[in-house]
Amino acid sequence: MAVELPLLANAGNHSFTLLTKGSPALVPARRPNSGEQYRFHFDMTKCIGCRCCVVACNEQNGNPAHLNWRRVGELEGGIYPAAQRWHLSMGCNHCLEPSCLIGCPVEAYTKDSATGIVDHDPDQCIGCQYCTWNCSYGVPQFNAERGVVGKCDMCHKRLNAGGEPACVNACPEGAITIEIVDQAEWRQDYSAANSPGMPPARDSLSTTRITLPANLNADRVDDWRATRGQPHWSLVGFLVATQFAAGAFFTIWLLEFSGAALPAWSALVPLLAAKLALAAAPLHLGRPAFAWRAIQGWKTSWVSREILAMSLFAGLAALYALAMYFGRPERVWAGAATVVVGFAAVAVSARIYMVPARPSWNRPATLAAFFLTALVTGLRAMPGLAVPAGFASVAALALRWRETQSMAASESPELRASASIAAGGRWHFYLGLAALFALPLDSLASLVLALASEVMGRYVFFVSAVPRSMASTFLKPGGEVPA
Amino acid sequence: MKSLARILGFDTLGDSYAYRDDPVLGYTSARRSAERWVKSTCGYCSVGCGLELGVRGREIVAVKGWDKHPVSLGKLCPKGLSEHQMISAPNRAKYPLLRGRGGKLAHVGWDEAIGTLVDRFTAVQKQNGPGALGVISTGQLLTEEFYALGKLIQLGFGTRNYCGNTTLCMASAVSGYKRSFGSDGPPGAYEDFRVADVTLLIGANIADNHPILCQHVEANKAGFLIVADPRVTKTAMMASLHLPLKPRSDIALLNGMAHVLFREGLVREDFAAAHANGLEELRSFILARYPVERAAALTGLSAETIADVARRYGRARAGMIAWTMGVNHSTQGAETVSAIANLSLLTGHIGRPGASPFSITGQCNAMGTREAGFTSSLPGYRKFEKKEDREELAALWGIEPARIPDARGLAYPDIINAAADGEVRAMWIIATNPAVSYPNQEQLRRAFRSLDFLVVQDGFHPTPTSEYAHLVLPAAIWGEKEGTFTNSERRAGKVNSAVPPPGEARSDFDIFLAVADRLGRRDELFPGWFKPVDAFNEWRRVSRGRLCDYSGMTYETIEAEGGLQWPYSDGFHGSPASRLYSTARFQFEDGRARLFTVDCEPFPDQPDDVFPMILNTGRTVEHWHTRTKTAQVAILERMAPNAWLEMNSSDARALTLSSHDRVDIVSRRGRVRDVELRVTEITAPGQVFMPFHFFETNGNEVTQDAFDPISREPNFKQCAVRVERSARKQGNTLHGTD
Repeated sequence: MAVELPLLANAGNHSFTLLTKGSPALVPARRPNSGEQYRFHFDMTKCIGCRCCVVACNEQNGNPAHLNWRRVGELEGGIYPAAQRWHLSMGCNHCLEPSCLIGCPVEAYTKDSATGIVDHDPDQCIGCQYCTWNCSYGVPQFNAERGVVGKCDMCHKRLNAGGEPACVNACPEGAITIEIVDQAEWRQDYSAANSPGMPPARDSLSTTRITLPANLNADRVDDWRATRGQPHWSLVGFLVATQFAAGAFFTIWLLEFSGAALPAWSALVPLLAAKLALAAAPLHLGRPAFAWRAIQGWKTSWVSREILAMSLFAGLAALYALAMYFGRPERVWAGAATVVVGFAAVAVSARIYMVPARPSWNRPATLAAFFLTALVTGLRAMPGLAVPAGFASVAALALRWRETQSMAASESPELRASASIAAGGRWHFYLGLAALFALPLDSLASLVLALASEVMGRYVFFVSAVPRSMASTFLKPGGEVPA
Repeated sequence: MKSLARILGFDTLGDSYAYRDDPVLGYTSARRSAERWVKSTCGYCSVGCGLELGVRGREIVAVKGWDKHPVSLGKLCPKGLSEHQMISAPNRAKYPLLRGRGGKLAHVGWDEAIGTLVDRFTAVQKQNGPGALGVISTGQLLTEEFYALGKLIQLGFGTRNYCGNTTLCMASAVSGYKRSFGSDGPPGAYEDFRVADVTLLIGANIADNHPILCQHVEANKAGFLIVADPRVTKTAMMASLHLPLKPRSDIALLNGMAHVLFREGLVREDFAAAHANGLEELRSFILARYPVERAAALTGLSAETIADVARRYGRARAGMIAWTMGVNHSTQGAETVSAIANLSLLTGHIGRPGASPFSITGQCNAMGTREAGFTSSLPGYRKFEKKEDREELAALWGIEPARIPDARGLAYPDIINAAADGEVRAMWIIATNPAVSYPNQEQLRRAFRSLDFLVVQDGFHPTPTSEYAHLVLPAAIWGEKEGTFTNSERRAGKVNSAVPPPGEARSDFDIFLAVADRLGRRDELFPGWFKPVDAFNEWRRVSRGRLCDYSGMTYETIEAEGGLQWPYSDGFHGSPASRLYSTARFQFEDGRARLFTVDCEPFPDQPDDVFPMILNTGRTVEHWHTRTKTAQVAILERMAPNAWLEMNSSDARALTLSSHDRVDIVSRRGRVRDVELRVTEITAPGQVFMPFHFFETNGNEVTQDAFDPISREPNFKQCAVRVERSARKQGNTLHGTD
């Protein structure tokens, strides 16, 4: 294949050589060949922690101060005076398996075949922010002012013109450079992408090469940091409502199948819950008007699949409800299909959250908890199933208790931090107990308590998610971050 | 309020986030597209980086490093990279403000403001004597402005009580140079960092404070870098050898090194004997008093380490010792500089490439005020006490020699103390912020409360200092005015105006001319002056033949070369000399330098049972001085939003404190409240460190107002404190810290 040499091609162009500063030591003099890509090289031994790269990146991209597509982190170790302090600097790692791209429901991400650069198109983005959950490095960042995500694109238009990315250009120590890497070789051994203070490169096969000091004995200084996450109330509502609906249809179908005579309108309540949840779901998007795009990525994105599954569930549920209302015999089969698809949709929902970047979500307990929500609330939807509902409640309470214990004892600092945040909010636990004790007394009260408990449980699920990310500096970043 | 189009997501602000292929910057945010570019020299620190300001309309929209600039090689630090953001800060001072009867500052016209200033100052002087007016300036103005201000104060107002915040900064280096070499003037150049065999950085954390110098140090692949600092600074991490010495034991280290040099025959006897006085006194003093073992005990370093450092320095082809505030901020600052100069003179490491004692200056133009400013010396490094110097200057100015003072007036701390005692009754503070930067704030507040009239002239209002003012004069700042800055290596850099100042603000130069006019002295002091270049041309004449000779420079050549180093005499062509004393002829009458016997004394505020820890203060890369400017730059505030206190983990354990606990720092003088604790191994047990930039948690509430008797520089770097958990507890645990 023809290799383009921008420096050579532009050699006769005076303004080009005058204005571009692409130093061969800092950026490659050729384009990647087939099977190769560009990547960052960060030399920790050269970095002095001046954070020029951060400022230069924000200037380059016109970003407000609270969005930093390039960040600097701090490592410390040893005992005075043999203490060590080092710094990390990171933009996007332009991964071989970019979790942002894979998870994106609207195909806003592309991995350029010629350069390997993972690029994001703000025009295509709908602001679902699923990529911000998926990336173990916290690279994609949601710009609330715009309603879309943005990220480092290695300044590829500068690079393609033979220039240096802004961070590379700004670094007074030459600690950040661009290299060409053979993708197949790197896939075999990407260990040079790992570093103290960095999430494991295996999460997405980061291509950034990090040169570590020979005697490195230091680790992150922000382990303590357990900042509450966003509560995502609209998602809390969506999850509890759809899970309640799936559980309730299961209950209705089970009772009908076992011969109980149910009022003809029984299915209308869970149907309404499912429909409302689906209608309200776009509200959490940065660009709700473009929600329709969200099924485009069904081949790879669990978000697209969830929308498809939930839509199918809602459609079948409507058929079932209609069949029931009119007393049609086909309702047994419609009900069975509704229940199967409903539970499948709940499983797909859970899968969305089970990503390496969010250790407290990336556990079997997430799947179990979502199903238990369906059962705890759904079994209370109709009278007569107090005993299984009670068992479901006990299971849900036990699961929560065990999860908190297990995360608190974990080796993972993110999980410990999650556990400590979760331990701060016990309302869902007490409400769940109350729902259990209310079961024999007042079934409606028990249902309301159970729903409240699950809502609080899902709230804790969101706020206690401590993501993996690159080590930050000791000081928590300041400044006002617009909601 | 968001529009519906934005709520629904039809509008994603694509225009304001658009990119553009800019002819100068390349592909970048369209917000940075400039209509024209103005070359200048950075207005923060004294490294003197070259940059270009991109201007669109009346706004500076971008900053870029000046490619191939001899100092910065196209690079800028995070403050420089965002420097344009500071200019459009909302708290820029825009109008003259006069405190009226109700105690409120009210907008007045310039005529009234200048008239009031002159009337009140002259009234105070008439009643209490000329010295009742104290003036404190800065290292932030242009050389032209310093030159004008010096004449205005000393000759126009006739008060000698004129000093600058450079006394909080470089005064010890100035005094040390004068004592050892006969004149102020840093002998070395940045190139020395690139070519020295051995570089000893002592009390200098360049990675945080002068980051763009680091590339020169890093370029020196063959050199051996030694960093002496009690703290494991970012700079210590760059070193081949870090010397974690005890606070204020640097003199012991230097004397111990001298001992090894004497003992092992590493002194260049021929050089020292030929070019310096006091060799034998120094030899017997060092051999008797500072055996390397004693130096080891005083510094906490091993005798082997000190000997190793001494041998490396002594045997080096070219050895450099560079320092900053760790040396200067001391009651023995000037003497420490002399002890450094001793080593240079003993080994002949001076005046050659890579061989120099070298002070890394603080502010962008501290050098300008040292040379031209008429504070601690007469313009052109002339001496108050020297009759010929006074006569020469008087002749240049066409005035009676008797009008030139024969001794310097009160230094900064003495002006403050005189104000607190009611002797200085009126004060003019220009481009500095003592309400953050002065040691022992309680004493400063006493001084401010005692004043009859305080004028604060600044680019920003309110500042913690301007809140005390009776009159606020709004000044243009860097980016809005023209002139020159001189950096640490004696390089004059051109500073240009890119945009007009906001509101009614005027350049300091114009303000000084207007004050002189009102005093009726403009024609005498500033004959035919209208623009800064008029002052510069007079300064060229006044500096001609002096060590700091600017006579051969013009604005055009300075800008064309990316700065010119003095001495640069009339008719000088070719590449400028980049070092002083290359012929080993020093600035004393006899041409010989002076060696000094310097004893290592304990710092004055020693820890005890009540105040058991030693507080050290310093800077962080994101901020500049008292944050008047950098607090306005969102990205810098984002990166370093608050102060912190570093404490060793063993001390934290004993106090049952953890990282992110809130602590108070208490000294014999005051208390700093509610500081975020950082438990760390980068500070030694028994020592704590905090950055000094933050008014909100001001370390100078506890620092000591003890001053070097020679330089009058405060002993900022060591004082005795205790650390307590703050009464207001918050945010120290894993629970809910959002």
